[in-house]
Amino acid sequence: MNSMNTRAERKQKVVLQSTPFFIIGIAAGIAAILISNAVKKMDATNIQVVSPNALSMLINDLYIVLSVSLLAILLGIVCAFYLEEWLPKTNWVRRLIESHIAVLTGIPSVLYGILAISIFLSYAGTLKVIEGAPPAQNTEAIPFQHHTTLFLGEVLIFIFMVMPVTIKTTQEALRSVATPVREAAYALGAGQWQVLTRHVVPIAFTRMLAGGCRAMARAFATAALLIGTYIWHYTTETDGMSNRFLLFLGAALFLSVFSSTLVEIHTSIYDSDSA
Amino acid sequence: MNHSIETENLSLWYGDFQALINVSVKIPDGQITSLIGPSGCGKTTLLRCFNRVNERYGNVTTEGKIEILGKNIYDPDVSLPELRKAVGMVFQRPNPLPISVYENILFGLRIHSPMRSLTRAESDQIVEEALTSVFLWEDLKDKLKTRATSLQLEQQQKLCIARLLPLKPKIILMDEPCSALDAKGTLAVEELMEVLAGTYTFLIVTHNMAQARRVSEECIFMFLGELIEHRETQALFEDPKHEKTADYVQMRYG
Repeated sequence: MNSMNTRAERKQKVVLQSTPFFIIGIAAGIAAILISNAVKKMDATNIQVVSPNALSMLINDLYIVLSVSLLAILLGIVCAFYLEEWLPKTNWVRRLIESHIAVLTGIPSVLYGILAISIFLSYAGTLKVIEGAPPAQNTEAIPFQHHTTLFLGEVLIFIFMVMPVTIKTTQEALRSVATPVREAAYALGAGQWQVLTRHVVPIAFTRMLAGGCRAMARAFATAALLIGTYIWHYTTETDGMSNRFLLFLGAALFLSVFSSTLVEIHTSIYDSDSA
Repeated sequence: MNHSIETENLSLWYGDFQALINVSVKIPDGQITSLIGPSGCGKTTLLRCFNRVNERYGNVTTEGKIEILGKNIYDPDVSLPELRKAVGMVFQRPNPLPISVYENILFGLRIHSPMRSLTRAESDQIVEEALTSVFLWEDLKDKLKTRATSLQLEQQQKLCIARLLPLKPKIILMDEPCSALDAKGTLAVEELMEVLAGTYTFLIVTHNMAQARRVSEECIFMFLGELIEHRETQALFEDPKHEKTADYVQMRYG
């Protein structure tokens, strides 16, 4: 009975703590809609955006980030399973990969951005199009495959960014499952897969979820910056500085609120788990 | 007399450290045999060899032969799940799985039988039988759905024994099964062992010499990875042949 109570309390705590963030998030969403309406009223010819307004841009980005983090989180979890459960601790491959992951989790997202520009985008030639003459003349000229490479570049770099975080947090979650539990299952004749799926994952699940939240938060926070640069790129001086700035602010606020909500959920899951 | 476990010149290394040195031992069928000796002498290591749980640590090298029920367990055609089904193990700290009492007992059967082959009535009966044979049925029959980790330590340890029984093991290895229990719990587990001996072969590691004397019929004394003396308990305690055994059983050290 006792554990039931604490579980309900935990849930309540998580909900309570994240409510303010959700409210701010909804407010920011409304702000974004208002801003996008304002943008629509501006002279349509002056706003040369790939996506017609801020809202659709935001949605587009959310779509990318959500699908990418899902992919990266799944991949990361599988990687963590392999590293933690199958490779022996003394294996040099494992040590090499783990040290690299530790470095990768510490790299600021700006560097990932530079990597994305220097490798994926410039290689595909998309950068030239973006930097070339005012977008007004160029939007029609961007062929389909350039959009695709832009999209793929973004996807790849997000995977690079999110995966190390997921791998690290999942590994920690798996490590948190006490050895006696594993030993008990092994001694009864369970195989590695059975031990993993029936005991280790159910116990480590909340922590793995928390890790996923943290990874997504990272992706969202970076996407906020990306949105900012998009807006800067695809609107022109004639829209007016204040409008451009408002648009940027609204979008950035929206995404950062989203990411901080995720971080908040992450920490409250972690706290309640270790308490 | 039949022997359920036989080792010949068994040596084991953890990396560079040799934990077992040329251990040759024969453990009789259907009896309680205890392993005694000072800490770090390789009792637990020897015990863990018998269902190959040792291998999980990675850098373990084994040499020599271990025959369990007449079969060399390092033969390539030995399946680990089958071996571990025949050789159950009870650990030092009670380690029930963090699921319900009911599922704890059925876990072993579920992994060894095809999916959904157990009917509800069968599994109910198996749980009742297993709990009855460790004298827990009366206490737990209304608590089958509670998490096993929330039981008292003594009940947890008995449950750990009970969950081996549906698999019908031949040998039960116990690694200081009473060190986490109080006097009453210890007594309960010992009584349980005495009742179950005969059906199962027990091998028990213990630091408690009084316990070794009370429970076991044969006793093995180990020292720094070597097997020093293996005799009937009474003889080993009252008339030790080896000097080190004498020192240990008369509590001059250890």
